[in-house]
Amino acid sequence: MTTLGSTLLPWLVALPLVGAALVPIVARHDARRAGGLTFAVALATTALASILVAQLASQGPFSADLGGWTAPYGIELRFDRFAAWTMPLAALFAFVIPFSWRYLDGTLPRERWAPFYALLLLNLGGLLGFSVTGDLFNLFVTMEVVSLSSYALVAVAGRGVAAWAALKYLLLGAVSSLLVLFAVGLLFALTGSLNLADVSARLAAAEPSGAALLALASLAVAFLVKAAVFPLHVWLPDAHAIAPSPVSAVLSGLVVKVGIVGLLRVLQLAAGTGIALEPLNAVLMVLGATAIVMGAFLAIFQDDIKLMLAYSTISNIGYIVLGIGLASPFALIGAFVHVFNHALIKVTLFLAAGAIIHQTGYRTLSDLHGVARRMPQTAAAMAIGAVSIVGLPPTAGFVCKWYIALGAFEADQGGYGFALVFGALFIFVYYVRMLDAFFFRAPVRPEVAAAVEAPWSMRAPVLVLAAACLVLGVLGGIPIGFVEPAVVDLLAALGR
Amino acid sequence: MTLFGLDLDYVACVVLFCVGLYMLVAKSNLIKKVLGLNVMETSVFAFIVTSGMIDGGQEPIVVAGSAPPYTSPIPHAMVLTGIVVAVSVTAVALALIAQIHAHYGTIEVDELKELP
Repeated sequence: MTTLGSTLLPWLVALPLVGAALVPIVARHDARRAGGLTFAVALATTALASILVAQLASQGPFSADLGGWTAPYGIELRFDRFAAWTMPLAALFAFVIPFSWRYLDGTLPRERWAPFYALLLLNLGGLLGFSVTGDLFNLFVTMEVVSLSSYALVAVAGRGVAAWAALKYLLLGAVSSLLVLFAVGLLFALTGSLNLADVSARLAAAEPSGAALLALASLAVAFLVKAAVFPLHVWLPDAHAIAPSPVSAVLSGLVVKVGIVGLLRVLQLAAGTGIALEPLNAVLMVLGATAIVMGAFLAIFQDDIKLMLAYSTISNIGYIVLGIGLASPFALIGAFVHVFNHALIKVTLFLAAGAIIHQTGYRTLSDLHGVARRMPQTAAAMAIGAVSIVGLPPTAGFVCKWYIALGAFEADQGGYGFALVFGALFIFVYYVRMLDAFFFRAPVRPEVAAAVEAPWSMRAPVLVLAAACLVLGVLGGIPIGFVEPAVVDLLAALGR
Repeated sequence: MTLFGLDLDYVACVVLFCVGLYMLVAKSNLIKKVLGLNVMETSVFAFIVTSGMIDGGQEPIVVAGSAPPYTSPIPHAMVLTGIVVAVSVTAVALALIAQIHAHYGTIEVDELKELP
C-alpha cells in the first residue's frame, strides 16, 4: 500500500546523498556557495523528517520497498518509533552547518570547503539510512558510509596529527565494520534472509544455535566499538579533539550513536529468538558503569577543552549503555531519550567551545581564563550545556539520567544507581573547573582579554541549541511519551 | 572435507582472519597494518562466498537443461559490495598514511608515538 510516508521515506536518505554529489559541482567556481547549498539540503531533509514523524504519529510505523521488490526479498526501509526518535539528529546538522560558514574561514583552505560540506552531507545521509533501514546488509553499507565520511572529516584539517588520529580511528573502525559484515554473512547463511524482521522470525522458528549466538555477539561487540564504550574507546579522544569543532560536534553527538542504534537493532533481532540476553545485559551494565566513572575520571585531568568534552562523551555513552543493559522500562526509556538529548547537549558544548577557540586561538583551560568577560553569550551557552550534561534540573540531561537511575532501582540493581550518581559527581567536578576558569578567573592571555563575541552566524546556532537544552528539560515528558510505546513493544518482545 | 569435525573451508577462513588480526595488532609499520586489515577482509569475503556454496551446485542461471541444486547468488552480490567498501577503506587509509609520511617522515608506530 502506497502512502505519503512510504513514498517520501526513500527521499529522506537520497536527498543528502544527492546533495553531497552536487556540492562540489555547484562550488566549482565559488567555494562559498557550498555552505549555502549544504544548509538548504539539511533544512529540506529536516522538513522531510518532520513530515515523516507526523505521518508516524497519525498512522503508526510504515515501510517502503526499494525498487519495487517487496520485503523480505527487496530492501526495506522501515520507519518505526526508534527510527523516528533519531530524526531530530538531522535537525542538529542544520545548526552545525551555518556555524561552519564562518568557522572555516582561516581554519580550512578554500579548496577544501566543498569536500568538507560534501562529506558532512554524506555523513547525514548515512546516519539517516542507518536509522531507517530494515535490511541487515543495508545496515552494513550505511554504517560504512557514515564511518568512511567520518574518517575523512577527522583528517580534513590536513595536518599530520589529524591524519594520525584519523588512521587510528580507521583501523579500529574497519575491524568493527568487518565484524558486522561477518555477522551479516553468518545470519544469511543461517536463515537465508537479510530482512531484519524476517531474520528475527526465522531465528525464532529454528533451534537456538551456537552460530546464531556468535553472529549476535559479533554484532554487539562491533557496535560497542562504534559507540566507543570503555575500554573500546581508545580511538575516540584524539579523533574527536583534533577534528575541526563542527566535525567534533557531529562525531561526538551523532556518529557514536550509530553504535547505540545498532545495539538496539541487535536487541530487536534477538527478541523472541529464545537466545538468553542476560549475559549480554550483564556485560553492558558492567561496561556502562565503568565507562561512566572512567570517562568522567579521565576528563578531570584534561586541560584541553575539546579533549575534556571527548572524554565526557565516553562517560555519557556509558549512561546509555547502562540503561540498555538494565533493560527495565524506565532505564530503556531514559537511555533512548538520552541518545538525542546527549547529542543536543554535546553539539551545543562543542560548537560553543569551537566559537571560543575560533575567537581566541586558545584551547586549554589555563589559557582561557576569564573568557566569559569578553564572550558572555557563548560562555553562558557553554554553562547551560555543562549544567545539562551533569544532569541538574531543569535541563535536558536531567530527564534521561533520572530515568536511568530510576531504572536501576526498578531492576533491583541499586549499586548501578549509585555508580551513576557517583559518575555525575565526577562530571560535575570537571565542569565546575571549566566554569571557574571561564567566569571567575582574570584573563592571562592578551588575546583572550581582547577577544570579541563570535559573529552571529556562529553565535545564533549555539544560543538556540542552549535554549533547546533548557526547553527539553522543562518539557521532558514529550520525548518520553514518544519513545515509551516503542520501548514497551521491545520489552514485550524480549519477554519482560 | 573436514578437519577435527569442522569444514576445512571455514577453518581456513578462521586461520586467515587470525593471521590478518595478528598483522594488524603486532606490526609497527602502518602499511603492514593496512595489509593485515586486507587479509582479514579477504577471510570474511571467502567465508561469505563459501557459505553460499553447495556440493554439486550449479551456477544460478536457469537455461534449458539446468537443474537444481543451484548455488546461492546473494552472497556473491554481498561480497561484491563488501569489496567496494574494502577498497574505499584501503584508499582512505593509504591516503592518510601518505599524509603522515609527508608530515612526520616515518610510518612506524613506535616512532610516531615518541614524537611530541
